[in-house]
Amino acid sequence: MDINRVIHLSAEAGKIILQNGGETYRVEETINRICTAYGLKDADSYVTPTGIMISATDTAGVTTSLVKRIKNRTVNLEKIALVNDISRRIEPEKLKVDYVFNELEKISEKKRYGVTTTLFFSAVTTSFFTLLFGGNFYDFLVSFFIGMILETFIILLSKVSINDFIINVIGGAVAALFALLSTKIGLATNVDKIIIGSIMLLVPGLTITNAIRDTIAGDFVSGVSRGTDALLIAVAIAVGSGTVLKLWFSYLGGF
Amino acid sequence: MLIKSIYALLATLGFGIYFNIKGRNLIFASVGGAITWFIYLLSLSINDSVMISLFLASLTAGIYSEIQARYLKAPVTIFSICAVIPLVPGGGMYYTMLASVQGDINKFLTTGLNTLASAGAIAVGILVASTITKLLLVIQNARLGAHTK
Repeated sequence: MDINRVIHLSAEAGKIILQNGGETYRVEETINRICTAYGLKDADSYVTPTGIMISATDTAGVTTSLVKRIKNRTVNLEKIALVNDISRRIEPEKLKVDYVFNELEKISEKKRYGVTTTLFFSAVTTSFFTLLFGGNFYDFLVSFFIGMILETFIILLSKVSINDFIINVIGGAVAALFALLSTKIGLATNVDKIIIGSIMLLVPGLTITNAIRDTIAGDFVSGVSRGTDALLIAVAIAVGSGTVLKLWFSYLGGF
Repeated sequence: MLIKSIYALLATLGFGIYFNIKGRNLIFASVGGAITWFIYLLSLSINDSVMISLFLASLTAGIYSEIQARYLKAPVTIFSICAVIPLVPGGGMYYTMLASVQGDINKFLTTGLNTLASAGAIAVGILVASTITKLLLVIQNARLGAHTK
């Protein structure tokens, strides 16, 4: 068995999971599972949200190691499920290295839902959260459109690869601005419910959950760094919407 | 209460698509959001404590997602994220920010601490749920081991 190929394979699998919002311990588990499935002993990996380090020894006693840096991260839970699935199938079904490489390539090139679908369902999310938190029918309609506008902004800003902090600041500002405008011209009544529902799209739910799960699994470095990430996102949203509210109160007064 | 749970179902369905979950996982993930919200409201109607309700709801979310992950053979994350999302204290964040913008330091501190405590309650809920699952798995493995010997 070519140790080099196996290590590259496991690194690729780990990279896909980490880039698409998987927990750190899941990446380590997957890498170790693939290495043991191909008969490498002493396979060890150290993973943080920003990088993967693997080292393994083959039967002749040769040690090989590999470092992979993770730069950009998105959320695509389907890819995590697929990689997880194929890594579990290697050992019982005796899959060949080349076959798994091909499958991983297919997985990493899989398309997301289309832009229209994403826009529509972002709007559904924001509008139903507004209803859930006590908004009325008019608030529902307004936050439906705010959801669409917000998601358009997020998609456009991600295309020009601005960092997450600024995206969240702008997102918070957009949500607050449109909520205030719509109540000013009398379309809706509850500014707070609309803003709360709309910022649910930006809120770091995934990051918080992963931070907790990593900390429980004993990956304290990842836990703390994800926790910081979540806090930073929350601050960014507050800065964005807070600035707009403050300016509105100062120049136009009240709601 | 039921209608609100259906709102939660649709909201988490949107979130699932936003996070690119596909197929039957999507349906089960959004049902998780509805169940979590239902438990939250149920607990709120029985006692007044928001913290206890949040804890119970996130405990339910955790247990539900661990069960579904085993049953559908998919990563737990898919279900737990969608189930927990309605509980995330977006409202608390907003009111904290509003108080700071209005210059009301007392209100800022009380709502801020309250928001942090809510996040803590949710975290403890998920933590307890996954610890229980680990414990059950250990017991099950020990039993299987005893049988084979």
